[in-house]
Amino acid sequence: MLRKEINDLLTQTDTGTPMGDMFRQYWIPALLAKELPEDDCPPVRVKLLGERLIAFRDSKGRYGLIDEFCAHRGASLWFGRNEEGGLRCPYHGWKFDYTGQCIEVPSEPEESGFCEKIKLRGYPLIKIGDVLWTHMGDKENRPPEPEWEFAKVPPEQTYTSKRWQECNWLQAMEGGIDSSHVSFLHSGSLASDPLFKGAKGNQYNQNDKKPVFEVVESDGGLYIGARRMAENDQYYWRITPWVMPSFTMVPPRGDHPVHGHFWIPIDDVNCWAWSFDYHPTRALTKEERQAMMDGYGVHNQYVPGTFRPRQNKDNDYLMDREAQKRGESYSGIWGIAMQDASLQESMGPIVDRTKENLVSTDNGIIMARHRLRKAAVALRDKGVMPPGRDTAHQQVRSAAKVLPQDQPFKEAMKEDLTVRPGVKQTSV
Amino acid sequence: MDLRELFFDPNHPTLLGSCARAATAEEARFRVQYPNSRTRASRIFALDPAAAEAMYKITEAPWNGAHFLTLATQEAIDPEKTNASDLPLSHPDGSPARLDDEIDGADVVVLLATDGNAEGAAEVIARECFHRNIMCAGLALGGSAPQAKVDRVVNSMRRFARVLVVANDDDYIPAMLTALRA
Repeated sequence: MLRKEINDLLTQTDTGTPMGDMFRQYWIPALLAKELPEDDCPPVRVKLLGERLIAFRDSKGRYGLIDEFCAHRGASLWFGRNEEGGLRCPYHGWKFDYTGQCIEVPSEPEESGFCEKIKLRGYPLIKIGDVLWTHMGDKENRPPEPEWEFAKVPPEQTYTSKRWQECNWLQAMEGGIDSSHVSFLHSGSLASDPLFKGAKGNQYNQNDKKPVFEVVESDGGLYIGARRMAENDQYYWRITPWVMPSFTMVPPRGDHPVHGHFWIPIDDVNCWAWSFDYHPTRALTKEERQAMMDGYGVHNQYVPGTFRPRQNKDNDYLMDREAQKRGESYSGIWGIAMQDASLQESMGPIVDRTKENLVSTDNGIIMARHRLRKAAVALRDKGVMPPGRDTAHQQVRSAAKVLPQDQPFKEAMKEDLTVRPGVKQTSV
Repeated sequence: MDLRELFFDPNHPTLLGSCARAATAEEARFRVQYPNSRTRASRIFALDPAAAEAMYKITEAPWNGAHFLTLATQEAIDPEKTNASDLPLSHPDGSPARLDDEIDGADVVVLLATDGNAEGAAEVIARECFHRNIMCAGLALGGSAPQAKVDRVVNSMRRFARVLVVANDDDYIPAMLTALRA
């Protein structure tokens, strides 16, 4: 249960809200790099944290993320002509560079310098890995550029997708740290999904439906450990890292690529579910990459030409009750990503947490909310920068391992939970 | 483009977009408003003096009937020789309490610890929880302490707790208990 005022604080991310201000202290994923594939390509509408923006790549390859609307009469720059070092509004020809600075007002004398007085809000947009990242906060508090492992490994070792999820970011993100749902909702997929099946660890999952949880704070967020019984009275541990505000990783299975997510608010009732797969030490195989593009693992299929999932609330996620009866899918929804999204969207645009009945196994969620609230309030009241900005906090990995019973996972798996270039993930 | 037409598949009949209507904010207005749970019986045990100090800071808050208890002794408890009725416990006002009375009918038990000295008492409490099918959660406070100390606290509760949380700050106690409707 969460009081309404705290639910509001955690879920509202527009400008001037505590959580919105907090998100604006981080580099967050804004677009896939392939959305702006070449210089002077068409601009792309972007909505983040309740702000309508336009992204473009100018003639010199510089990325810009600026206010969507022309400073003159408010026309959308989605209609803009991306040419000769800027984005020109087709209405009256006003032109803006990648920072949002107006560089031409054709109706005014060039010598007047009028255009220098006009500037749209602009945010930096940088390419790291497959992703274009932005920082929507004050320049003086800009953190170091992100160094997440999935974005830093060579291109052949990583794959990133994003999908539009039609609900608040927090209920989507909470799914990423809620390890207890896996034994139910995704149980059908462990045996069939090409990016999950065949791992020995799957047997531990199937044999022990009641994992025991340990939640441990880290400098950047949390480690959520789920342990199940293994042979010889040992524990099979699966560790999910969460880094503030909204980065989560899925513990690996066998030598399959490692999965993870970012959950980024579009506005208070929509978010981007970013999903990545990477292998720390080898290229993804052709089959793995094809499976990701086909929507397996944490990815999904799309309505052609969009980032909206093919299974969505307008077609009831293509619910298949027969597959449910046959045991192929626990919920009747195909694919891990949409199994989660369908239920999270069913909660409503912003779930009313005053009515929920959490239990002890929900402590990962409880702790994450607690840390988010504390960090947002500390930023608002004291100007304290939140955890997760430091690139050291980003050097995390998920891991799965069998350990003797008396070994605390945080200490015994310290190296396994840390990025080690050239060393593969710890997995079972 | 009509998505239903695009995606219609006789083997995957759609339900005419009922989810689209049901998931709107407008429809959320029609969710039935009623108390969907009865009061839980929560029992919180502070296993050492520092944990008790942290607990005392919140016992006066308006909880939903949660009982707060401390160990009445700091001497080591031998779980093999200690029955539920023998474990020395106190209410916050200092009056004695009996473990079997306290956890009779409890829904959730939370163990609070800042050191690993009360493993025996934790075992006695957890044993009673196990026999009565009561969820037992452990909260190790002072997660920012030296790792060896944290490990000791965690190990003292690991065998007994279905859920174990290592928290850096005491303010997680009220956050957790509020979330659990204690």
